[in-house]
Amino acid sequence: MTTGDSSNAGGTEAGQVVVHLDGVRKEYGESTALDGVSLDIRAGEAVAVMGPSGCGKSTLLNMVAGLDRPTSGRVVVNGEDLASMSETGLALFRRRRIGMIFQFFNLLDDLPALDNVALAAQLTGVSVAQARRRALELLDELGIADRRNVYPAALSGGERQRVSVARALMNRPALLLADEPTGALDSHAGEQVMDLLIDLNQIGQTLLIVTHDQRLATRCASRLVEVADGRVVRQRSLERTA
Amino acid sequence: MSAVWQVSRAAVRRRRLQTFVIALVVLTSTVALVVALGLLDAASAPFDRTFDQQRGAQLTATFDPAKVTDAQLAQAAARPGVAAVAGPFAQAVLTAPSNTAVQAPGVDAPPPGPITVVGRADPAGPVDRVDLWEGRWVERPGEIVLMRPPGEHYGPNEAVGSRLLLPGAPSLTVVGFASTLSQSAGAWVSPDQMPALHPTASQVLYRFTGSGTADQVRAGLATVTAGLPQGALLGSLSYLTVKQDMTATANAYVPFLLAFGVLGLVVAVLIVANVVSGAVVSGYRHIGVLKSLGFTPNQVVAVYLVMVLAPGVVGAVLGTVLGDLAAQPLLHTVFSGFDYGYFTATLSPWVDVLTLLGMPAVIVLAALVPALRAHRLSAARAISAGSAPRAGRGLRVQRWFGGTRLPRAVSLGLGLPFARPGRSALTLTTLVLGVTTVTLASGLSSSVAAYIEAGNDHVQSVSYVGDAEIGERAPTLADAAIEAKLRSLPGTAQVTAMAPVELHMVGSSQIVRGWFMRGDSAGMSTAMLKGRWASGPGEVVVASSFTAKHGLTVGDHLTLQLAGREQGVTIVGETVTGDADQVEAPWETLTALVPDPGTTRYVNQYWVRLAPGTNVDAYDAALAAAVPGLYPTAHGGGTDSLTVTIVGSTTVLTLLLAAVAALGVFNTVVLNARERRRDLGMLKSIGMTPRQVTLMMVTSMAALGVLGGLLGVPIGLAAHRLVVPAMVAAVGNALPPSMMNVWHAPALALLLLAGVAIAVLGALLPARSAARLTIAEVLRSE
Ligand SMILES: Nc1ncnc2c1ncn2[C@@H]1O[C@H](COP(=O)(O)OP(=O)(O)OP(=O)(O)O)[C@@H](O)[C@H]1O
Ligand SMILES: [Mg+2]
Repeated sequence: MTTGDSSNAGGTEAGQVVVHLDGVRKEYGESTALDGVSLDIRAGEAVAVMGPSGCGKSTLLNMVAGLDRPTSGRVVVNGEDLASMSETGLALFRRRRIGMIFQFFNLLDDLPALDNVALAAQLTGVSVAQARRRALELLDELGIADRRNVYPAALSGGERQRVSVARALMNRPALLLADEPTGALDSHAGEQVMDLLIDLNQIGQTLLIVTHDQRLATRCASRLVEVADGRVVRQRSLERTA
Repeated sequence: MSAVWQVSRAAVRRRRLQTFVIALVVLTSTVALVVALGLLDAASAPFDRTFDQQRGAQLTATFDPAKVTDAQLAQAAARPGVAAVAGPFAQAVLTAPSNTAVQAPGVDAPPPGPITVVGRADPAGPVDRVDLWEGRWVERPGEIVLMRPPGEHYGPNEAVGSRLLLPGAPSLTVVGFASTLSQSAGAWVSPDQMPALHPTASQVLYRFTGSGTADQVRAGLATVTAGLPQGALLGSLSYLTVKQDMTATANAYVPFLLAFGVLGLVVAVLIVANVVSGAVVSGYRHIGVLKSLGFTPNQVVAVYLVMVLAPGVVGAVLGTVLGDLAAQPLLHTVFSGFDYGYFTATLSPWVDVLTLLGMPAVIVLAALVPALRAHRLSAARAISAGSAPRAGRGLRVQRWFGGTRLPRAVSLGLGLPFARPGRSALTLTTLVLGVTTVTLASGLSSSVAAYIEAGNDHVQSVSYVGDAEIGERAPTLADAAIEAKLRSLPGTAQVTAMAPVELHMVGSSQIVRGWFMRGDSAGMSTAMLKGRWASGPGEVVVASSFTAKHGLTVGDHLTLQLAGREQGVTIVGETVTGDADQVEAPWETLTALVPDPGTTRYVNQYWVRLAPGTNVDAYDAALAAAVPGLYPTAHGGGTDSLTVTIVGSTTVLTLLLAAVAALGVFNTVVLNARERRRDLGMLKSIGMTPRQVTLMMVTSMAALGVLGGLLGVPIGLAAHRLVVPAMVAAVGNALPPSMMNVWHAPALALLLLAGVAIAVLGALLPARSAARLTIAEVLRSE
C-alpha cells in the first residue's frame, strides 16, 4: 500500500525521538491520574500502553495529543514543548502532527464518510477538491471507497473505524495515537484494524496504542509500556507475533 | 470551502428543526419590532420634520387691538428669547351658515361654523411658512385662500375661482388653497381686505430660542406678554397642543406595541440562547472531535456562531420585509383621518437598518456566551463527555421525587428539569414571558372593552333629519312635533334630540363642537371620570381629553360664541371618553346662545332608547312610516377603529408570542430527548410504555408551566398597570380605577393555567416522537 508516504511524515527520521515525556503529573482535583510518567518514543516505533481500567492510559494519550495539559512535567512532541503553546498553537500542532483514533470512532454524524476524512486536510488550507481526492485515495486503500457517501450512522463499526483511520492519516501525521481502536469491534473487524496498523507501522508510521487487548499489543507493538496507578511500572520489547 | 463553513453547514442541515425554530422565532420578533419602531418613528418624526420645514409657530397668540397697539406687540417680541416673529396680523372670525340653501354653481359652501380669517400679505416669512398647494396667494381685496389639508377640497363647488359668501363679509373669490401645521388660520385674505371684515384680534406668531418643552413655551408666552395692558392677551396656542392633537392616535399604539416588541425581542434572545447553549451542550463530543482534529478554539466558536447566525439572518431579513409590509397598512390606518394629509405614512429606513443589524447582533451576543464555553472546553473532557455519564446535579432531587407517591413517569418527569438547570431556567423565563404577554393582552382587551362600554350610549335607534341637498326628503314636521311623535311610538323608552353646532371658544383660535341635548339627556350620560352630568343652563360636560388639551378642569368657566353672541358656561363634569374639541350641554345653553332655536333647525338627529324587548328593525320601520323625512339607522354602540385595531393587533401579537414561547418549550424537549436517548432506550427496555414516556416528558415541561404561570401573572398585571394608562394618556384621556381593575378570580385562575397550556402544547409533539423512538434506533446511534 502507498500509505507509506507517511514514513517521512512530519520530517521525522527513523530513530529520532518523537515523544518525550518527563515526570508528567496530572491531577483532577483530589485524584491523581498520572503520577510522574517519563517516556520516550522514537520514530518508527509502535508502542502499546496497557494497564487496568482507570490507571491513566487515556490521560497519557491526551497529554501527548495536546488535548489536555499536565499539572507538572514536560511533554515534548516532535521537538515542540507543548507546555509553551497556546490553545490555538496546540490546535495547529494537532492538525499537522497528530492523527487520532478512538474506541467509539468519533466521526462527525453530520458529514458523509468522504467529507469526514477530507475535513482534516481542509483544516490545513487544502482546497476541498484536493482534500476529497486524497480522502478518496485513502478510503480506496482501506477498502471502503464504495461507502464514501454514506453517513456514519449507516456504517458498520469496522467501517466507521476504517474511516476514522483514514481521517487520522490525512495529514501524514508524525504520530498516530489510538485509544482502544478495537474496543468496540467484533473480532473480525478488530483483526482488520490490527492488520491496518501493522501495515502502517511497517512503512514507517510511528504508533502509540492504548489497549486492554493483549492480542492487539503483541501483534502490533514493538514495545509494551505497562501502567498502574498513574505510573509506568514496566517496559519491554516485543517480538511481534504477526 | 473552508472547514469551518463545511462543518457549520452540515450542522445547520442536520438540525433542521432547531434551525427552523430559530428562523421562525427571529422572524416573528422582528415583525413585532419593525411595527413597533415604525410606529414610534411615524408618531413623532414626520410632525417635527414638517413643522421645522414650515418654521412652524411654536406659539400663536391673539391680542385685543383695542388694548394693545401693533408697535407695543412688535416691541415685546423683540425681547431676548424670541428667535423669530411674524405679525401682528389682523384676525376676524366669520361664521359659515349652518343651513345653506341649495348651492348655486360656482359658490363654495364651507362646513358650517366659525372660520378664523387672517390678513397676510405673504405665505412665507420667518415664522409659519404656509404651504400653498394650489392656486396662488391673495394679492388684493376680494380674494381669499382657504386652509385645507393638502389635496383636499370640502364639497363639490370648492375650487380655485369659486366664490365664498359669508354673513358680514363682502363676496370673496377663492384664489388658492394652503395648509399649515401651525393651525394659525382657517383662511387668509390680503391685509387691505381686513378692515371690511371688522377684525377683533391681532395674531402674532412666535418661535423661541430652544423651546421644545411646555415650560419653555410658557416662559416664552410670559416674555412676550410682560408689561402689556391687562386683558390684552385674548388667547394662545402652543404647538405642543397641536402636535398632541395630530399624533395622539398613533401615540396610543406606541406603548403597547413597544411592550409587545420588547417582550418579543426578549423571548427571541432567550430562545436563541437556549438553542445555542443546547447545541453546545449536546455537542460536547462534537466539540471534542473538532478539537482533536485541530480546530482552533476560535474556529469552534465560529462553527457554533454560523450555525445560529444562518437561520437568524434569514429570519431577520424575512421579518423585516414582512414587518415593512405589515407596518404600511397599520400606519395608514393609524394616521388616516388624523393626519389630514400632512404626513406621509412611510416607514423610515432607520427602522429597517436597526432591525437588520440589531437582530443578528442580538443573536451573536446570545450565542456567544455558550459558544465561549465551547471555546474553553478542554478537548479531553469534551471527548470523554460523549461516552461517560454526567454527574447529574438533579440526582438527589430526582431520588426525592422517586420517593413520593406520584406515578413513576410523573416523578421522573418532575425531576428532569433539575438535570439541566440552565436550560430549565431559560425555558422557564420564556414561559414566564409568554404568560406575561397573555395576561397583559387579556387585561388590555378588557380595559379597552370597558373603555368602549364607557363610550356606549345604550341607544338602539338613531334617526337623522333628511337633507334635501343630498336628495333626501326634509321632514315636514317641526322639531318639537317630531319629538312628540317619537315619544308616542310604541317601544320608545327615552328620546333625546341632538343639535351639533360649531362654536368659537373665546381665547382659542380653534373651533369646538357643541352637542346640545334636549329630552332625556341625563340618561345619555356616558361614564364619568369626575363631576356630574350637565343639567341646567350654563353647564357643560367635556371629555378628559378636552380638559387636558385646553388646560381646564371641572369647575372652570369658559365662554362660547356663536354668530356674535356669547355665553359663559361652567364645566361640571368630565367623561372618560370623547373628543378633545367637543362640549356636551343641555338645551338651555343653546337657547342662551341663539335668540330663537325654534326657527332654525339645529337638531339634526334623534336618539331613541328602546323599551326592553323591542325589535330595532321593526321599530325603525314604524318610525320611518310615522315621520316622513326621518332616516333611522341601526346603532350598534361606540366601537371605533382605534379600539378594534388595538384589540385585533393585541390578539395577533399574543398568539404570536404564545406560539414563540411554545416553540421554546418544543426546542427544549427536542434537546432533552436527544440527550437522553440512551436513558429513554433504557427506560423502554425495562418496560416503560410509550404513553409513560410521553407523560414523563410532558410533565417535565408542565411543571415549568405552573411556575411560569405563578411568576408571569403578577408581572403581566404590573405591565398592564404601566401600559394601559400610558396608552390612554396618549390620546389625552384618563381611566377611572374601575376600568383598570378588570381582573376576577376565575380569569386569574385561567391565566395561571396559560403557562401549563403553552408548555403542554409545545412539549406534546417532541415528547410523542421521543416515545416512538425504537430501542434499536437508540442503540444504533451510539
Ligand atoms: N476529566 C476528568 N475529571 C476527573 N477525573 C478524571 C477525568 N479524566 C480522567 N479522570 C480520572 O483519571 C483517572 C485516569 O483516567 P483515564 O481515563 O486516563 O483511565 P484509563 O486508564 O484510560 O481507563 P480505561 O481503561 O477505563 O479507559 C481515572 O481515575 C479517572 O477517573
Ligand atoms: Mg481510557
